[in-house]
Amino acid sequence: MGTERIAKNRRKFFQTSAALIGGTIIYSLIKPFEAIAQTEAENSKEGKGNLPLWGMGVDIESCIGCGKCAEACKMENNVPKEPFYFRTWVEQYTVKNDGEVKIESPNGGIGGLKQSVPDEDIFKSFMVPKLCNHCTKAPCVQACPVGATFISPDGVVLVDETYCIGCSYCIQACPYGARFMNPITKVADKCTFCYHRITKGLQPACVEVCPTDARIFGDLRDKKGDLVKFLQDNPTQVLKPHLNTHSRVFYNGLSSEVK
Amino acid sequence: MPKLIFRLFLSFVLFVSVFILIQNSLTPDSFGKYGHYRADAIDDNKISTSYYKGEENCTTCHEDIFDLKFNDLHSGVNCESCHSPKINASVECEVMPPVIEGTLKLCAQCHETNYARIKIVPQLNFKEHEEGRNCIECHNPHAPWELKE
Repeated sequence: MGTERIAKNRRKFFQTSAALIGGTIIYSLIKPFEAIAQTEAENSKEGKGNLPLWGMGVDIESCIGCGKCAEACKMENNVPKEPFYFRTWVEQYTVKNDGEVKIESPNGGIGGLKQSVPDEDIFKSFMVPKLCNHCTKAPCVQACPVGATFISPDGVVLVDETYCIGCSYCIQACPYGARFMNPITKVADKCTFCYHRITKGLQPACVEVCPTDARIFGDLRDKKGDLVKFLQDNPTQVLKPHLNTHSRVFYNGLSSEVK
Repeated sequence: MPKLIFRLFLSFVLFVSVFILIQNSLTPDSFGKYGHYRADAIDDNKISTSYYKGEENCTTCHEDIFDLKFNDLHSGVNCESCHSPKINASVECEVMPPVIEGTLKLCAQCHETNYARIKIVPQLNFKEHEEGRNCIECHNPHAPWELKE
């Protein structure tokens, strides 16, 4: 009698705990997909095709290294004036006749870049504007422990300033060095393609001021747009393609020296 | 069910429900709407002030200068490339005019000789060329080849 009771209760106990554990597991399995199901529903409702997919083309052959873009970016986005904080900057690459590569970017190119190598020693020289590459598979987004950095539905990598805890993991994760710690807000800061401008139909500040049209900004889904035309006309490349980040900043005339 | 098991079960349920409650109260409302982030942050990123207003904003008043510029070599250069808005550009142009300071330095940003510069931009050695004068003493910046007397 006694053993039977225990056996019955034991069976009941195992049944309830199995049901409980099973339920918890199923719930935890379904929970992460809720967000995806929701986004899919939203996307189909709003029509994802209607949303733009922002990208930028950079024509290295046109860039004259005047540094207007870096200057305008700092003003437009209230970036601290110290020469360590840049959302965009211009690098000057100089390949000497002996094969040595010199990379310079004093103050991010603000005020115009000056050649420090005498002309007779130069094999080739060019300017490379740099900014956040707005990766489709962004390493910074994967590294963020709190979900404070994300890719917006229109393809721009943004930072949630109120949610960022300032751990700077994303700064280490970014292979392009495009992020920095803002000394005023104490959170991660980066190029947003001037999100406050592009959503109002304006061009980003760097594109607006570029005197030689070396930067082309546009919608990658707009088949008749400037950016798609630029991509069709020129053989473009992305920076560090081996990292598989699928970035949305395309360079025309990129030399192998550029890292 | 023995008391011990019941207590264990009860404390487990209590622990899980308290955990879910705390988690829900700490997670912002819009979190997870589009993905693993706060959907409201998209709107937060939109509210910043734009200092650069775009060329169309300038041409409404200064159409004559725009026409002059448009028909000359600086046609590709936007107004705000040189006339950068002052830091408090929310006020109107008349209150805080976007005056250019240091013309020589400004012109040198694009026109100083540099091996890396493309040849379509005229380059010159400013030390040899200027002869101690400011660029705008001879050149009209809106039409650079209309030399002044």
